[in-house]
Amino acid sequence: VTDEEVDVRTSDPEGAAPASPIQDGPAPSEGAIVEVRGYRLRLDRAYDPDTHLWALVVAPGRVRIGLDPLGVETSGTVAQLAPVPVGTAVRRGEPAGSLEAEKFVGPLPSPVSGTVVAHNDAVVADPGLVHRDPYDDGWILELVVEPSRLDEELPLLVAGADQTVPWFERKLAEYREQGVLAE
Amino acid sequence: VPVPPEYLRVIDFGRVGARRSQTLWHAVAHRVGDGSPATLSFVRPSRPYVCIGYHRRLDEVDVDACRRRNLPVYRRMVGGGPVYLDDGQLFFQITVPADRVPPARARALRLLLSPAVEAFRAVGIAAELDDDLEIVAEGRKVCGHGAGQVGSAVVVVGNLIERFDHEAAADVLAAPSARARAEILRLMRHYVASTPADPTAFRAAATGSYAAALGLSPRPGTLTAAERSWLGRLDRRFDDPAWLRGTSRPRPAAWQAKVRAGVRVVAGEHEGTGVVAGIVGDRIDRAYVRDPDLNGAGARVEAALAGRPLADTAAVLKAFGLPGGRVAAALAKATP
Repeated sequence: VTDEEVDVRTSDPEGAAPASPIQDGPAPSEGAIVEVRGYRLRLDRAYDPDTHLWALVVAPGRVRIGLDPLGVETSGTVAQLAPVPVGTAVRRGEPAGSLEAEKFVGPLPSPVSGTVVAHNDAVVADPGLVHRDPYDDGWILELVVEPSRLDEELPLLVAGADQTVPWFERKLAEYREQGVLAE
Repeated sequence: VPVPPEYLRVIDFGRVGARRSQTLWHAVAHRVGDGSPATLSFVRPSRPYVCIGYHRRLDEVDVDACRRRNLPVYRRMVGGGPVYLDDGQLFFQITVPADRVPPARARALRLLLSPAVEAFRAVGIAAELDDDLEIVAEGRKVCGHGAGQVGSAVVVVGNLIERFDHEAAADVLAAPSARARAEILRLMRHYVASTPADPTAFRAAATGSYAAALGLSPRPGTLTAAERSWLGRLDRRFDDPAWLRGTSRPRPAAWQAKVRAGVRVVAGEHEGTGVVAGIVGDRIDRAYVRDPDLNGAGARVEAALAGRPLADTAAVLKAFGLPGGRVAAALAKATP
């Protein structure tokens, strides 16, 4: 939970370039999707293996974040989403905002370090968007990230089918064993 | 991160001032998971006050009513809406390291509320945790709860409602009209119940059930030096008007007041026609309409709406001509 006052401002998608692959190497085609046991995973972005937030480089040094399908499912019905104010610097793992579901308030730990430069006002007004469209309309905020930081922190995320699929299968198995997800 | 001691610390803060009845357990939450043990705490406010959930708009509280009643208002760091608290309620908080609870919120809540249900049962209240994760007895809510991750801890708070001042609880909620407020009060009286029980027995039962659920031995304790340090910071934060104002939140599309899960009051206006409705599940429990052209047919419209599923109301109101159409439009605005 962040202590900061949130100043929701107009999102600034201007200048956002088409999505680019987040890691070096052969780029997956834009919108490439892999399905893991009924869950659809986009391969144009990277995933924080612990927090279930995705990170997508939308322009050089500019990263958009949102919840992945397991993050959405384990949250329950999201009632409130509150990104930290535009201009706030956050470090990887620190709250970039907070989310409330089932009267339970929790942090949204940023997958990368940077400065918040835009919110998705639509998802703040209608948090149900993260359920209906977690990858596109349900994005949460954007950060500007130093290139050296990106080089340092992107390898901590999972990306590409060869990393994403085994990670997601492992998480599914773990959550099912814990009874967190239905069989 | 230090390994937390493996026991359940139990702290009874006793009767304390309004602000402290919040900041004491927030101070604990800031340290559990960062050196302090899992903690079950109890507190009773010595004076009435109002508390609003972390994300909620301050204008959900009737600040003028609070001023008239001399009630301070505080903002907590866990979820839920605005609530009225007084010394007829014993509050409990279970605070555990975040990595001890399942990642799914619903499951974490079930884990941390089930021992409270056992404690209610131990003191003679036929409580159960319903599908909405509310603690209820005979269909009435008997425990208000909220939850959150504060630092490295997850905290779930709830209360034993020995006496409940329904009028004060309804009065402190912002409502668009006296009629809407009266409907909140009516539904609150029906769906929120006090459960007079021995608080000492409840504390003992909760201590036993939480210790068993967490697999820890209970041990009486007090605040650590680090927690006392947090307490001072939190006292200042809770007195800060900026903290009370909270985050800037979008105004909801329509006013509504929630009485318990699945029970709410809504209100809407359309071209001079007004409607207030108490809604239970997906049905109108009771509706009140106002339209200059109903010419005494208002009571018939209200009777036609009572008990109807929301989805059917437009069809029902067609029988009342143009005024019925305006009522339907007002109701649609109230339930977007």
